[in-house]
Amino acid sequence: MVSKILEIIGLEKKYNSGFYLKVDHLVTEENRILVLIGPNGSGKSTLIRIINLLESPDSGSIYFNDKLITGNGVDKIMLRKEMSTVFQEPLLFNMSVYNNILMGLEFRGKKISGSKEIFDYLIDKLKIKNLLKRNPRSLSGGEQQRVALARALILEPKLLLLDEPLANIDQLSREELRNDLFDILRATGRSTIYVTHDRNEAMIIADFLAVINEGRIEQFGLKDEVFRKPASEFIAKFVGVETLVEGIVTECKDNVCRIKIDGSKNDIFAVSASSGQGTKVTVAIRPEDVILYNIEMNPGASSAMNSFMGEITEIQDLGIFKKVEMDCGFKLISFVTQNSIERLGLEPGKKVLSSIKASSVHILAGRALNADR
Amino acid sequence: MELIWQGIKSAFILIFSGNKEILGIILLTLKVSGIAVIISMAFGIPIGLLIGLNNFKSKRFVITIINTGMGLPPVAAGLFVSLMLWRSGPLGIIGIMYTPTAMIIAQVLIASPIIAGVTLAAVQQVNPKLKLQALSLGANRVQVLWILLKEAKLPALAAIMAGFGGVISEVGAVMMVGGNIKGQTRVLTTATVQNVRMGNFDVAIALVIILLILAFIVNIFLTLIQQRENMTWYQRFWK
Repeated sequence: MVSKILEIIGLEKKYNSGFYLKVDHLVTEENRILVLIGPNGSGKSTLIRIINLLESPDSGSIYFNDKLITGNGVDKIMLRKEMSTVFQEPLLFNMSVYNNILMGLEFRGKKISGSKEIFDYLIDKLKIKNLLKRNPRSLSGGEQQRVALARALILEPKLLLLDEPLANIDQLSREELRNDLFDILRATGRSTIYVTHDRNEAMIIADFLAVINEGRIEQFGLKDEVFRKPASEFIAKFVGVETLVEGIVTECKDNVCRIKIDGSKNDIFAVSASSGQGTKVTVAIRPEDVILYNIEMNPGASSAMNSFMGEITEIQDLGIFKKVEMDCGFKLISFVTQNSIERLGLEPGKKVLSSIKASSVHILAGRALNADR
Repeated sequence: MELIWQGIKSAFILIFSGNKEILGIILLTLKVSGIAVIISMAFGIPIGLLIGLNNFKSKRFVITIINTGMGLPPVAAGLFVSLMLWRSGPLGIIGIMYTPTAMIIAQVLIASPIIAGVTLAAVQQVNPKLKLQALSLGANRVQVLWILLKEAKLPALAAIMAGFGGVISEVGAVMMVGGNIKGQTRVLTTATVQNVRMGNFDVAIALVIILLILAFIVNIFLTLIQQRENMTWYQRFWK
């Protein structure tokens, strides 16, 4: 049975600036990675500081290993020793890399001899073996963050808090460090709360995902659930949904609904068990779920319920993918590779056929949520 | 010009002749100023740390007081100590007026605010997030203070240099409370003043050169400690 490592209930914190953090319920399971994702200023780092007992909430409860850790009479220092945090800045001290890594152990009155195995593992995996005698000031940003991660991970905390650890690093170093860090997290299976505003990072590493915006957790659940079924337009956009269209449910049969798209002759089919006929809805489609066909190549029959003819209006280069924007009576966006662009001869002005499975079309329930706030 | 040149020549003869009186004055100067700086560090560094790292209501007011203390005229410190230690003063009973102890007390009054003020400024320059980082790594209050003092050690050494420079060159207060008694309370600055009054410019120049050399040696030592981070010996010396 999976046990909870951290549970937050009814937490509130108000600041003089007017910012208000309110977390009704959030749970982290043992040996799982919870990714807290949200835009800048949404309250992610504040929540991490409160969990790490560096700030106190105005009200609410935090349970760590089933013990209440908020309120008076709590030994904060002892509890902090059960966790360790890596912030956005590496925040290394003016001493050798080796001494920096051992700093947390020193605070705990522990010696390196008891952590030799993990020390060797970390300096190897984080590629900092040859930096141990150096002063952190002479290191690059990426190297400094590697040291900061080693310093946190050597403590083998019950809960690891990573507050956008890759945000301040250049693109090339970031990808390399991301791979190394995620390898370590997977290998050690450490209970982790990982803060980011990068959905790619979230998509790779998360077991659970909590989307935070303006101090509120807007959606919390298994990663796939949040990515596939965002609860609101904001979340949909944040987790990478590119196509959002409004329409009215005209028919529902065997859990498949037909939606008449506003301002278009087209209908979209979506798998939904809960939408009632006549309901005004917003439909979300992920770009990777939109398949494109060259109409001259005769695509043949398909099991996808949605097929739209359209004209390509724009192709943008996103690095690995190309973003193809089409006018199908509504704006539809697809991500394809350069190979597909060449193979299908895609270019602006060209007519294409697109298809989407009904199970890949998600009807948002988020408008009511937005209205509540 | 001849007077100055003659004075410099005589000064070097005096310095290298091993004059016992001069040697005694040098040793007393180092003893009084050294002890005064050590005591001032014991007061000034913790005060500077506590004020710099904590937020409280009257913080600005306290910092203003310390900054004022940094500019405390030595004669004011001398007068205050004289009033306290005078035979009929509140502490007259202990009978330490016109002794090196009285001179140390006066110099502590001068150096403590300087060391506190520079330490305060030094720790305020330390990234405040380092405190959060230390706490998040499980540090207790003492460990946090210690680690932040280590972070501020380079500018904190500047505090010691400033404190030492302030007291070794000071003349008003030590003259008042020490009395410039030959063989007992005569230090480099008071001896210089006396020799100028007597027209012994060669001795006065010698004493000033010695004072400058002492200040230079102490400061070069502190500078080497301060600058040794990430530098080779060669770099340390020539930078």
